[in-house]
Amino acid sequence: MKTVTRLLLGGVIATLLGAQQLQFNLDHLAPKASNVVDVQLSKDLLQFAANFLDGKDDPEEAQVKKLLSGITGIYVKSFQFKAEGVWSPADMDAIRKQLRTPQWARIVGVTSVGDGESAEVFVRSENQKMTGLAILVTQPKELTVVNIVGSVDLNSLSELGGHFGIPKVETPKK
Amino acid sequence: MDWLEQELKRALERKEPAPGFAGRVSAAARRRPMPRWIAVAASVVVLSGAAAGYRWYEGLRAKRQVMTAIRLAGEKLNRVQTRVMEVRQ
Repeated sequence: MKTVTRLLLGGVIATLLGAQQLQFNLDHLAPKASNVVDVQLSKDLLQFAANFLDGKDDPEEAQVKKLLSGITGIYVKSFQFKAEGVWSPADMDAIRKQLRTPQWARIVGVTSVGDGESAEVFVRSENQKMTGLAILVTQPKELTVVNIVGSVDLNSLSELGGHFGIPKVETPKK
Repeated sequence: MDWLEQELKRALERKEPAPGFAGRVSAAARRRPMPRWIAVAASVVVLSGAAAGYRWYEGLRAKRQVMTAIRLAGEKLNRVQTRVMEVRQ
């Protein structure tokens, strides 16, 4: 009886964790890509990495370290291709399907007809607390999926994005 | 006796060792071997150093991965914000 209970409990925990962490099945795109970014950082690895974020190499490290305090996992897959039409909409549909649960909510979705870019931001929340973030960006020659497990300050994350080459965008205060 | 037998006889015949050979063997047998604890300590130092070096390398690698991931996520989020601002304007 105890074994059955343990198995059931394990299954429930695995399901909950799995729901926070998206499953990417995009490895078939890697051989066709000209540039690949594949990052898989679990909680243990993030804590380990945080010890090395001392700001000696990069002044932004302190800010990143602060950001990591609420994060328990970072998973990124980004592919850049030399030609168009390498990735298919089905690749993204498999990921979007996982985001069609009550916990996940799409907060932004932008599609540009001109350059064929599509960008979506999903936030996962439980008991009014943020527990995950997903960013899906596609361009004719690019596909990027970012999944952050845990709580992350979007403004700080965006600020870091601005500091790394793209001009910072001021978000209007409510 | 043919040449083969002569060769064998010459190869197998008793030869006297060089002068002082017995003394050198006795001296080597009397010499004290290196204490075992020195070998163990040296191994521990080498292994600890290698482990620390590997841990340092892994830490730097993990840090680089974190920075890359956060940069990319921030960049994409910022890009979405830029698009939203463009649409608003």
